[in-house]
Amino acid sequence: MTQYMPVAQKTSANITAIRLTMLLGAVVFLLLMLFGIVMRAAQGQIINLEPTVFYQLMTAHGAGMVGAAALTGSAIMWYFLGRYVQLSALAYNVFLGLFLVGVVLVLGAVFVGGFAGAWTFLYPLPALSGGSWEVGAATTFVLGLVAIGVAYLIFYLETGRAMIAAYGGLGRALAWPLVFTGKMDNVPPPAVIASASVTVFNTVGIVVGAAVLVVTLINLYVPSFAIDPLLAKNFIYFFGHVFINASIYMAVIAVYEILPLYTGRKWKSSRLFAIAWSAILLMATSVYPHHMMQDVAMPGWLLVMGQLVSFGNSLPLLGVTAFSMLAYLHRSGIKWDLASALLVIGVLGWSLGAVPAIIDGTISVNRVMHNTLWVPGHFHTYLLLGEVAMSLGFMAWLTKGDRESAFAPAEKAAITAYVAGTLGFTFMFLISGATSIPRRWAIHFPEWHLQDRIATAFAALLIAAFFTLITFYVVRLLRPARA
Amino acid sequence: MQQQILILTIVVMTLVAYPFWRVVRTSQHAPQPPSPAGRIERMRTALLASLAVTGLVVAVATLRPWPHDAHAAPGAQIVRAVGYQWYWELDTEEVTAGRPVVFEVASADVNHGFGVYDPSGTILFQTQVMPGYVNKVKHTFTEPGTYRVLCLEYCGTAHHDMIGEFKVVAAR
Repeated sequence: MTQYMPVAQKTSANITAIRLTMLLGAVVFLLLMLFGIVMRAAQGQIINLEPTVFYQLMTAHGAGMVGAAALTGSAIMWYFLGRYVQLSALAYNVFLGLFLVGVVLVLGAVFVGGFAGAWTFLYPLPALSGGSWEVGAATTFVLGLVAIGVAYLIFYLETGRAMIAAYGGLGRALAWPLVFTGKMDNVPPPAVIASASVTVFNTVGIVVGAAVLVVTLINLYVPSFAIDPLLAKNFIYFFGHVFINASIYMAVIAVYEILPLYTGRKWKSSRLFAIAWSAILLMATSVYPHHMMQDVAMPGWLLVMGQLVSFGNSLPLLGVTAFSMLAYLHRSGIKWDLASALLVIGVLGWSLGAVPAIIDGTISVNRVMHNTLWVPGHFHTYLLLGEVAMSLGFMAWLTKGDRESAFAPAEKAAITAYVAGTLGFTFMFLISGATSIPRRWAIHFPEWHLQDRIATAFAALLIAAFFTLITFYVVRLLRPARA
Repeated sequence: MQQQILILTIVVMTLVAYPFWRVVRTSQHAPQPPSPAGRIERMRTALLASLAVTGLVVAVATLRPWPHDAHAAPGAQIVRAVGYQWYWELDTEEVTAGRPVVFEVASADVNHGFGVYDPSGTILFQTQVMPGYVNKVKHTFTEPGTYRVLCLEYCGTAHHDMIGEFKVVAAR
């Protein structure tokens, strides 16, 4: 078995575009974090905010954060995949351009048109706003999401094409000969195996999302063109789950590629690793019913599948990625710096956030936790301490000069504040969920205000730390690019 | 139940974080050859097996009996509820404690969430509500008092105003 000979040892990633993409993603994260703290402060009555504005901010926050997480994850995948296959810089630029068009449309729909249908746009809410927004605003929002979807379709068609050209098929890029026979020549590196898995499942997710967006669009103008709301909900959560999870699965490629440079131990494409990523492909596309466990009209077997696959999701995460990372780190003599610390925190945060998510994936638990603040509690953990931390780690490494290896006290302080702020902020969500506070409520009962205010204080800490971390990045951006 | 779930979550998160702390603490020690592959793989197999077995045991324990059983047993009380933007209509204001209640919930417009809260403000159960479907959920109340229905699915810009109420009275 040959251990992953790079097919094309070249950097076809457009380094300037990648660096700017990460900057754009970070700025969007920061802006939307500010929207987030405004919402928590309003719930705690620290400030007064019209409910209509709250729900507009909530819609922009949700759609924007999903977009920013996907954007930074995509840039990481593109950068490292470009080391092994020949990618088209034009395709990336078209992707980025269309993505920006989509962002402008979504922001226009929300802040000009007043659309406040949440990023989940549950059918038929876009058409039935109760007088809060017009059809034009809903149309603009849907078209914005369509533009972003088309952007990603171009992205994945290009990554898929490049992997097929380099490896002779997506099955080979997924190392299926290794999975099924235990033997394979020219085994793809972890970055390619992970990219192949994400390319397949997120393409399916985007196509399903496009279908429900088109139906929603037609329904806005031809109300008699209706579909089953339960079917629409299945499509939306299938797409939504796949899309947001893809952002983390793309970002973790930075861990596979960068951490070995610190430990001196190459991340191997073992048979178990390849099996894990094929399992992720299957589970990412079959776990979505765990979002619909209180839709009692759903076939029971689908809900059972949602629970079992939720539990199964822990196996490749904890048993393969997290376990392998710790094995590679163990007594490796690593010299810690900002990048390596953030990448390890990324895997830790992802693992920690998975715990309340998996517990909530139990139907009987979900019965009292679903759509309480427990839910943002778990996804903010694995996004802020997972995807965002990995992205920050990638950004720190991308701009790290060759002679820099020290871990500056200011960097340690920023990381400590970021972790402490995030843990405090997300634990307040979990505590609030356990005390039955609903999510997506603009106005909170007085007895909930104390928790909202404590959460707001932690949010301020994490935002200050995040601002500091991206300031480090901006300062370093002026230095020469890494080849 | 929710407090137990929170404690369990914190315990499991601590168990997950512990090996990270252990490994990171010793990671800067002088580089040593990686531990023998066989030992690492045995540890990994044990971890994967324990996760799989725990998952299966928890699944069997929590899926039997079926959590969504809403079969209306003889003597059950039926309450029909309809969600509107942004209020609830219930066809009764009072149910009796100690006898099963089956809520049959529908929507007149968009998706809603029918979450029932006890007098102390703790959620007891919920079901999603959507146009074109009548979703059923069964519960037996044990304590008399005033219970509230809060909407638990975002349904528009007055979602937070969608609060209903009914009373549970002691059996005579």
